[in-house]
Amino acid sequence: MQNRPSGFGNPWLQLGLSVACVLVSEFLLKRGATQVAVPDSAFSWTGINGLASPLVWWAILLIIASFISWLYVLRYIPLTIAFPLSRVVDILVPLGCWIFLGESISPLRWCGIALVIIGLALVAKPIAQIEERL
Amino acid sequence: MSILAFFFIVVSLLSFVAAQLVLKRAMEVSATSGLRNSRFLSLIAIGTALMTVSFFLTLGLLQRFDLSYLYPFQGLSVIFITLTAAVVLKEKLSLRLIVGAVLISAGIVLVSMS
Repeated sequence: MQNRPSGFGNPWLQLGLSVACVLVSEFLLKRGATQVAVPDSAFSWTGINGLASPLVWWAILLIIASFISWLYVLRYIPLTIAFPLSRVVDILVPLGCWIFLGESISPLRWCGIALVIIGLALVAKPIAQIEERL
Repeated sequence: MSILAFFFIVVSLLSFVAAQLVLKRAMEVSATSGLRNSRFLSLIAIGTALMTVSFFLTLGLLQRFDLSYLYPFQGLSVIFITLTAAVVLKEKLSLRLIVGAVLISAGIVLVSMS
């Protein structure tokens, strides 16, 4: 593993940026895909007709940005740690719906969110050891 | 869920997992031999192509199913990628990482089912 750059080049910062871009793109994709949905057409299984929606193009831009950050992250952090951490987005989506859209979160869903947070904490623990080696 | 839907969900998941492994390998190559070598460029091309396939299949699935229905399958990718990274890329895997990955996956499934 190489020396870890600091500042904007910090791989943990880049991981956060990558997650933020994915988070926003998920909302754009769902909305965009629904706008142009043609469920009767067999061709639409490929998803290519989704390109008709401008929202999908914005999402693609964000995905490319997150992709570049992610490649940078992969250069410095093992996949077994970086990938599970990147799934923090899976609880940020429902939490975002709760905070910004006023959607309710059921007790079962709160349990799921708690499980993910415990899992993330377990995965994040070895980071301290990686940092020590650097 | 129809067999066709299941097929597309599995292919989308597999191409996503494979893409992550290939991209990680590409970045490992770049760390030792730089960005201008054919091995790195071909790995990046393969990884990006797999990612693109997975992206469009997901877009096709999103037109038919709720995001909350499709999410549990994405959640499984945590377990698949953690295990395959250990086997294929020889990354160190501790009990803590396995338990963490399983909890994250289980949590994502619960969140999407509830």
